[in-house]
Amino acid sequence: MASHEEDCSPDTLAFMELAIQQAKLAMDSLEVPVGCVIVEDGKVIASGRNRTTETRNATRHAEMEAIDILLEHWQKNGLSKLEVAEKFSNCYLYVTCEPCIMCAAALSILGIKEVCYGCANDKFGGCGSILSLHLGSSEPLKSHGVPQGKGFKCTGGIMASEAVSLLRTFYEQGNPNAPKPHRPLAPQATR
Amino acid sequence: MNKNDTDRDRDRDRWQILYIPDKPPIPPNQQQPTVNVFASIIDPKLANTLIRRLNQIAPLENLRHVKRIRKKQLEGGKTELLVILCLASENDNHLDTMQHDVRELVNSYQLSAFITKVCKFPASSKEEWEEQCKLWPTSYHPPTYNIDGITGFNEEYSQSVFSFMRFAVELAKSGDGLVTNAAVIVDPSVKKVIASARDEICSWNIPTNNQTNSFKEPDTCISHSNSNRIITHDTLPSNGSTSELKQLCTGASCLYPWQWSEQELYMPNSSCWHPLRHAAIVAIECSAARDRQLFPDLGDNGDKSFELDQMHSSTSSPAKRQKVNLENVEDTEKLDTLTEGCHSVAARPYLCTGYDIYLVWEPCTMCAMALVHQRIRRIFYAFPNPNAGALGSVHRLQGEKSLNHHYAVFRVLLPEEVLSVEL
Repeated sequence: MASHEEDCSPDTLAFMELAIQQAKLAMDSLEVPVGCVIVEDGKVIASGRNRTTETRNATRHAEMEAIDILLEHWQKNGLSKLEVAEKFSNCYLYVTCEPCIMCAAALSILGIKEVCYGCANDKFGGCGSILSLHLGSSEPLKSHGVPQGKGFKCTGGIMASEAVSLLRTFYEQGNPNAPKPHRPLAPQATR
Repeated sequence: MNKNDTDRDRDRDRWQILYIPDKPPIPPNQQQPTVNVFASIIDPKLANTLIRRLNQIAPLENLRHVKRIRKKQLEGGKTELLVILCLASENDNHLDTMQHDVRELVNSYQLSAFITKVCKFPASSKEEWEEQCKLWPTSYHPPTYNIDGITGFNEEYSQSVFSFMRFAVELAKSGDGLVTNAAVIVDPSVKKVIASARDEICSWNIPTNNQTNSFKEPDTCISHSNSNRIITHDTLPSNGSTSELKQLCTGASCLYPWQWSEQELYMPNSSCWHPLRHAAIVAIECSAARDRQLFPDLGDNGDKSFELDQMHSSTSSPAKRQKVNLENVEDTEKLDTLTEGCHSVAARPYLCTGYDIYLVWEPCTMCAMALVHQRIRRIFYAFPNPNAGALGSVHRLQGEKSLNHHYAVFRVLLPEEVLSVEL
């Protein structure tokens, strides 16, 4: 078992560095800077960055982008649903910010093995901040034997300061896409 | 009376709209938690002086929902005024426990204090509030109180809600296989369908890279005039490829989100499936595609369009919208010339701000949070989702205070028979 939990292994830091590269790409496109990579057998098999502004679809978070790449790729290779489920159960996600409630629920649906994130997400976090979807359901089997929410191992705080500083830079320069009353653009800022 | 009128009359009797509050409702037969307070009857002439003094020496910090003063109707048309003096101990009923400065006030005005009970927590629904007021009056402010419908829908509006829900139910049943969930995003200010979708976890149209080509705006509109059908739709699932590939999914995705890998596909050639393409997610994608098509050149560089559309609050009524347009005539005209052939920029909403969504089943956590992100104003669903529902069944996202957006949630109660093939 890898030592993801105790100290960050060099591998963990290297994968998180790649996720941060993705977040920087998002920032360059005026997107909220969050990025991720998905790793299987020690290799990066997909990466994603936030694309909510470009798509005008607020659900296009980095995780969803990376997941879609994998689903398309595996289906092209003719994998069955069971094989795809098996694949996800061996995947690690490295993401710069704690997955939101939507993404955490999606990761539970897919049955991912493990998630490592950078900074916590105090407003929307689904892996401990607001909801704890990574813990799965407290009642694993309901009366009629329907499996309930699957949990996954989750470790936070990996290179959190880098992740936070990207977000801070982004919001300080003013998110041009935020609803009007929230934050003024930098030139109009009185601070 | 023709058939559709009969249907509508039947619906009127059996369909109902129920507000799903932010907190689990307390059953009417169950006592709401209370606290003891000292109260006293006072002379109405002294009301102002006493209230001002009491608010200084004994503010009701954790009981802001409780009214300090109460007017009680007595027999013979007389009224008496009662005031809360301060909190009382829960254990002993002795007046000695009253705080010192309040006791002085009581003595100097010769009030006769007694202990009574008030509700400890603010009401989370109108029903709870009515219960509370029997004990001692409280105020009721649902956090989403500025959203229409929380205090009830009028008859005409209810019929419109039922029409859109009927549309969603028909959509849910429109596949060849089992009934799936369905989602219909509606702009209530013009009663127009913005986007609609079924679950697509089993088969779906492969989007072409050029998304504007694959997208067709639904021209669905609603008409209350003299037509027999309340709702008319031209674009009810006419996706050729979807009907060719048989839908063999086992029910609504949101009900069984974790079972995707167990669902067998008897379609060797169908290589397209996606465990996360629940109806609400697909509908959001369609509405985003519509937005990109209607307003193609805007949004990448944070230009004026944002400044304009941000003026529409989530509660903006059509009338308000009109006003904003007029105030910005110059800007709007400028932008219109920039985006020739496009809809007025001012009409462009920020994501789904101001829009409603109709779902046959209560959405799962993933879908419910997606609807928070996309800024949906109101959610109407027909059937609860005990396995994974996130609007009251398992989680209650509308009550998660930390989220940056809150929608109002309604359940449309309808007979379960509507799910059987003939509506």
